[in-house]
Amino acid sequence: MDILFISKFIVVIALIIMMLATLRASAYKSTSMGLLGSSAVVVAFAMALLVGGDLCNLGFYRDISLALIFFGFVGTVAFAAVLGGDE
Amino acid sequence: MIEYIQSALLIISAILILISAIGLITVPKNTKNAVYARIHIVGVFDIACIIAMIGLGQYLLAGIYFIIAPFAAHAIANAYWKKEDRENNLDLVAVEVEPDYNNPFIHPKDKFGSLETEESGKLKADERFSVTTLEIDEGE
Repeated sequence: MDILFISKFIVVIALIIMMLATLRASAYKSTSMGLLGSSAVVVAFAMALLVGGDLCNLGFYRDISLALIFFGFVGTVAFAAVLGGDE
Repeated sequence: MIEYIQSALLIISAILILISAIGLITVPKNTKNAVYARIHIVGVFDIACIIAMIGLGQYLLAGIYFIIAPFAAHAIANAYWKKEDRENNLDLVAVEVEPDYNNPFIHPKDKFGSLETEESGKLKADERFSVTTLEIDEGE
């Protein structure tokens, strides 16, 4: 089997493990940890979509992952600005 | 040859992702500055994602994420520092409330504690304080 194919599967498995870890981390008591975990899980999901689209030769997966990464960043910064206050 | 480089990049990123996942879970809860440590670990995950994007040939996406990931980490750390970090921020712990001496229903501790003498502990509860706020006019 092609080594590139296998390495893509390894990345997807690692990303799934990372998603579970970030979901656990987002359940800690402070609000910032929830924000951090949710932003990391969005990035992990976008990466998994990117690798999955590369495996299946689907072009629009890349656009969806780009949108997820960009709007996940915007939401994270906006929530952090609201959490931090105006001072 | 390019395939081998791509697969090496992907495997390196997978190893970094696994290390960051284990590190994110195993940071002890009672460690000082645990949230900053977790933000640091997520930074490792961000770089692993960038390496994977380069391995997949998505250079534009990798460049965009390389720029915006530190902004997100800094925003989260800044919000935590401003509102929730009670270990390093003494301003969040100490709350100074000015006592209202004119309010008859509030008895500040520093005002009425000075009325108590050293021997007042030996007295009965009724004799300890002779201050009253009631004035009864029996002439009416």
